[in-house]
Amino acid sequence: MLLKKSTPWINQIFEILKMVFTLLVALLMGALVMQLSGKDSMQAYGALFSSALGDSSAIANSLLAATPLIFTGLAAAIAFRAGVFNVGVEGSLYLGAFAAAWAGFTFTSLPGWLLIPLCILVAAAVGGLWSYIPGMMKARLGVDETVTTILLNYVAILYTSYLVNYPFKVPGMANAMSAEVAPAAQLDRFMPGSQFNTGFLIAVAAVIVITFLMKRMNLGFELRSVGDNPVFSKWMGMPTEKIIEKVMFISGLLGGVAGAVQVLGVHYRFAANFSPGFGFTGITIALLACNSPIGVFFAALLFGVLRSGSSTMELFTDVPRDLIRVLEATVIFFAAMEISWNWLRRKRNGIRN
Amino acid sequence: MEFVINVLYSTLRVSTPLILAAMAGALSKQVNLLNIALEGLMLFGAFAGVVFAAQFSNTWLGLLAAVLLALALSAVFALFVIDLHVNLIVAGLAINILALGLTAYLLTVVFNTRGAFIPDNVQPLPVWDIPIIKDVPVLGRILSGHGVLVYFSWLMVFMTSLLLYKTPFGLHLRAVGKHKEAALTAGIAVRRVEYASILLGGILAGLAGAQLSIGDLTLFTDNMTNGRGFIALAAVFFGNGAPGLTAVGCLLFGMFEALQFRVQVMSGFSPQLLQMLPYLIVVIILVLISVRKKIQRQAL
Repeated sequence: MLLKKSTPWINQIFEILKMVFTLLVALLMGALVMQLSGKDSMQAYGALFSSALGDSSAIANSLLAATPLIFTGLAAAIAFRAGVFNVGVEGSLYLGAFAAAWAGFTFTSLPGWLLIPLCILVAAAVGGLWSYIPGMMKARLGVDETVTTILLNYVAILYTSYLVNYPFKVPGMANAMSAEVAPAAQLDRFMPGSQFNTGFLIAVAAVIVITFLMKRMNLGFELRSVGDNPVFSKWMGMPTEKIIEKVMFISGLLGGVAGAVQVLGVHYRFAANFSPGFGFTGITIALLACNSPIGVFFAALLFGVLRSGSSTMELFTDVPRDLIRVLEATVIFFAAMEISWNWLRRKRNGIRN
Repeated sequence: MEFVINVLYSTLRVSTPLILAAMAGALSKQVNLLNIALEGLMLFGAFAGVVFAAQFSNTWLGLLAAVLLALALSAVFALFVIDLHVNLIVAGLAINILALGLTAYLLTVVFNTRGAFIPDNVQPLPVWDIPIIKDVPVLGRILSGHGVLVYFSWLMVFMTSLLLYKTPFGLHLRAVGKHKEAALTAGIAVRRVEYASILLGGILAGLAGAQLSIGDLTLFTDNMTNGRGFIALAAVFFGNGAPGLTAVGCLLFGMFEALQFRVQVMSGFSPQLLQMLPYLIVVIILVLISVRKKIQRQAL
């Protein structure tokens, strides 16, 4: 019960210590794997961190890599906090990304101040509604949301792939991708030589909004209450079904916006299978951050650093960037050990009974 | 006719990893520790299978290595889930991510190739021609001439069913799954039963992975399982944990996979939409099961 309630400062310090400990274990695990396979781990980590933090454009690229992870981390965190295990953020991200691209290359005559919000709004709505479906099935019929969201991810990924392979295919392109969005729909980039763009500011805004929602709004109180004790909340007269549906909608909405920001800020078009698992890394981030929005922000920055530094590490030290996944898996194991003492154990018991 | 024979023959072939993994899934579902890690365990199995087969120029050693590695990792999974109380879905996802990362990492570091490993010094597992059936006109061409694991997987469906419904262990397993506390009160060694089910599942998942990498061809590619672990779980839900019906689900999904290549070539129908169907069908089945439960509850 360390993470909930109006956390006293001692608990917050404990959380931070735990986060640091988890990260150290993960880095050690990565070093172990490298040493055992005959690589110089110090050199590799050196290359990773200096290329991710070395100069202003390196930092910009790390922030760029963190941007989608902030959204997906928030999406996972808000669902987990309400005791809903949404694994379907990846699916919402794909559908949202396609929706944003579609709006961007369809309403080309609109000015930017109108078109960009429109693209993001469409993506948010599509992502939210997609996630609302398993939320509704969970709330009204008791269908386990974990299983349905995992299955629906495949549906979303395959369906968007179908869309750009058939109805929206651009002729003459080697890979399946949509047309480019109108220049007015493209997010501004901060500096030449880096794709770092205003999408990051939207992500920061999302952190603030979700913090406010969780701490200050009725829904935030309700979702924390449902997450801590669904039976109690129901007896207190809270509309628990409605709350679960709302939370799933918001979670999917954030996933949709993540997709939109990738399309409008980085690629300018939708490409099939474009995400390297942003939605799943969001789960790792939420676990590491103990579901706190501010924590998600910093955990996402960290994973942004790892991701953007890993390609340089691969280039200069011959350590494949797949190593990052080993770190990620370790983070999940160790971060989850703590969280399971809280609501996850209750959830397991919940499934049992 | 030729078309039908071809489709049915490949259906049996591509269903095999699904069936083996789904039997692991069925055990885990029945003991109420749904094994999300199947995807990763299969991937580890596939990797170890071809790597060790190539290393020792012996396919059977590869098979053994696949089973042992998947077994070891399922022990890690079981440790975290059963004793360290990590949520089983979280632990499953972690194993999957680890499998994806570590196999790709080792492929690059140890074999200096990116994406694919295709050794030329090993043969795939032997094929088996069923003595009498192989001479029956149509049936022979569908049923005979598969790799040994294909037949082994059918045996495993039978054995899993036997284990679950005809042995004391199976009874204990199902009791733990239905109501853990009651099983504990009845004196069942719950923890041992849980470990045993997950470890048995690990062996089956290792075999499933080996079938992918050394069953028909000998190769490994990054993310070779490509969601098959989850398809197998979908089949488990299709069959509600009963081995027979689960295997039928696997055959059904296998047929989708077998059809998908051919339909795409013949008619230009989108393979993505065809690939989507199994997932959608299972979601619909899950909803229907829940609706039925709800109606039953209201009738009481």
